[in-house]
Amino acid sequence: MLAYQIRIAFKSLRRNPLQSGLLIAGVALGIAISTSFVTTYYMLSGDPIPEKSDRLFHVAVDSWDPDNGWDSDHPEYAPNQLTYTDVRGLMQSDLPTYQSAAFKAAMTVQPEAENEKPYREIVRMAFSDFFPMFNVPFQYGTGWSRSADEGPDPVVVIDAETNRKLFGGEDSVGRTLRLDNRDYTVVGVLDEWRPTIHFYDVNNNPFEEPEAIYLPFNFVEPLELQSSGNDSGWKFYAGNEFQDFLQSESVWLQLWVQLDDRRQQEEYKSFLDAYVMEQKKAGRFQRPLNNRIYPVMEWLEREEVTPDQAKVMLIIGALFLIVCSVNLIGILLGKFLARAPEVGVRRALGASRTSVFMQHLVECELIGALGGALGLGLSVLVLRVINRWFDNQFQFQLDLTMVLAATLLALAAGFIAGVYPSWRICRVAPATYLKIQ
Amino acid sequence: MINMQNIQKIYRTEHVETHALSGFNLNIGSGEFVSLMGPSGSGKTTLLNVAGLLDAFDGGSYILDGEDVSRLNDRQMSRIRNEKIGFIFQSFNLIPDLNVFDNVDVPLRYRGLAAGARRERIEEALEIVGLTSRISHYPAQLSGGQQQRVAVARAVVGTPKLILADEPTGNLDSAMANEIMDLLEKINDLGTTVVIVTHDPELATRSPRQIYLLDGRLVDLEKDERPAPLYNPVENGTADNGMSA
Repeated sequence: MLAYQIRIAFKSLRRNPLQSGLLIAGVALGIAISTSFVTTYYMLSGDPIPEKSDRLFHVAVDSWDPDNGWDSDHPEYAPNQLTYTDVRGLMQSDLPTYQSAAFKAAMTVQPEAENEKPYREIVRMAFSDFFPMFNVPFQYGTGWSRSADEGPDPVVVIDAETNRKLFGGEDSVGRTLRLDNRDYTVVGVLDEWRPTIHFYDVNNNPFEEPEAIYLPFNFVEPLELQSSGNDSGWKFYAGNEFQDFLQSESVWLQLWVQLDDRRQQEEYKSFLDAYVMEQKKAGRFQRPLNNRIYPVMEWLEREEVTPDQAKVMLIIGALFLIVCSVNLIGILLGKFLARAPEVGVRRALGASRTSVFMQHLVECELIGALGGALGLGLSVLVLRVINRWFDNQFQFQLDLTMVLAATLLALAAGFIAGVYPSWRICRVAPATYLKIQ
Repeated sequence: MINMQNIQKIYRTEHVETHALSGFNLNIGSGEFVSLMGPSGSGKTTLLNVAGLLDAFDGGSYILDGEDVSRLNDRQMSRIRNEKIGFIFQSFNLIPDLNVFDNVDVPLRYRGLAAGARRERIEEALEIVGLTSRISHYPAQLSGGQQQRVAVARAVVGTPKLILADEPTGNLDSAMANEIMDLLEKINDLGTTVVIVTHDPELATRSPRQIYLLDGRLVDLEKDERPAPLYNPVENGTADNGMSA
């Protein structure tokens, strides 16, 4: 019966192509706008590392001013970064499966070719665990070893774009990269890697691209590297030496750990508490004990990563689709009631109200499906416009989930628009129309 | 086949009540061929609609083919219309964007028959009305007579026990009208009860029994006792000859 109803629905649509076109275009417009906006929201608020986001934790300890909390709106929040002293202390733990402190710095790249000019590049200083912990894909080679962390050895990982720029895209493992007048050996070249959210460091622009170059964290002291991201402090420190800064209460480092099960998580929390209690004895951490480990999504929520525009767009998209659907109700009602004589005949020949209702609802769903298909095509164009609007910071695009969501939305729009007209037409008294057809 | 007792049918508007059928009794046996006549507004179409379960009635009881149909729900009435009743209308009422095959197929679709069984029945029905060669034609490509023959095929394709025809020849010339009556007689000969509404006295005489309606009441006489004034009330100047009480 469903196949028959679909066939009848197609015939009905062909009967008045202009009207059918308007109906389909109405759904398509609603789907294009709503899908594009939902995609934007979905990508901006989606899980950037779904395969393990519940096992990756951002570490927060409250080393802030005893008299004023880190965030007056959220007194329960500890600072969003750590001091160098605390990173050194916490990295002593052997509990996490992986752990890495990190920050971003800026260095000058000096290409081998004489005709290439040096240029400044953002570098992420991290531990070797950074790569396996965040499932960073490699095109050539791998990350450096844990022993290279200790050296630190002069090793470097570069991204695919840097490899194209400096080494023509070839396997550059073993080649030398000169940074700030020092040579580093390339041990790995990243494959294309572009998490929608720069989730491991959301301090400046949470949607920026991953860094181009990665060096062992422990170069921070010999190179006296300062953060090119945010740093915050609450207490003046004496002296002007780099070591003075490192020993200060300034927070400027991120620490992520991978804890694979509840036991490991509980043990790590106990470790954090023990560490802070020890620090309290030394006169630090004068605020109440407030250590937290945040899973990825909880951390992004705390840091309010999803921009307000995306939330507004989500609401506008949903409203737009509802308005489109409601507008279609009137057109569908007129279309269906004009067909009352045919419905009268079908009722006389044995169609029940239910089958008349279903036949018309199937037609609405067909309009929804056709409008959805067209709308998906249009949404690709709308997303291009949105990408330009965001200065191509993101590459919003439809994925399978969004295609399925758009299909469901289109069917829902067809349903919302079709229920009332279908109900009205199934209630007409057949006898009224049989004489006048 | 049809047993109506004390049927009431009232049309109500805000200020007016019209008694289309009032205390109406009717008994039509299986296999009968009955003509229903009466002036405009006498209740003929209302009676046909009630008999065909297309319209509800306000009082009385109705036994159709041994089944009390007075208090059925929509699904049950739809099933009975589909399985037991075939309809033929004055303006054919074919669905314009379905071809002949698909038009005749409509009642079978609602019965849920398999494709093979439907095709067989449709071809048989079109054979009866002599339109197998027009199976792929659309209504607009057929003459009025051919369209009505398709409507007849659609009415009989489900092998109903009762055919209700509301002025089936009203839009046809006399030659075509006679063809349709021939078909209805043929169907009646196969055992199907046929009730037609007609204004044409010549055609009415082809049925063994005529029923006359006046002001929603029944005058049921054998053909030989038919009173002339009721036969064509307009022509005879009055519809009220005292026979409707």
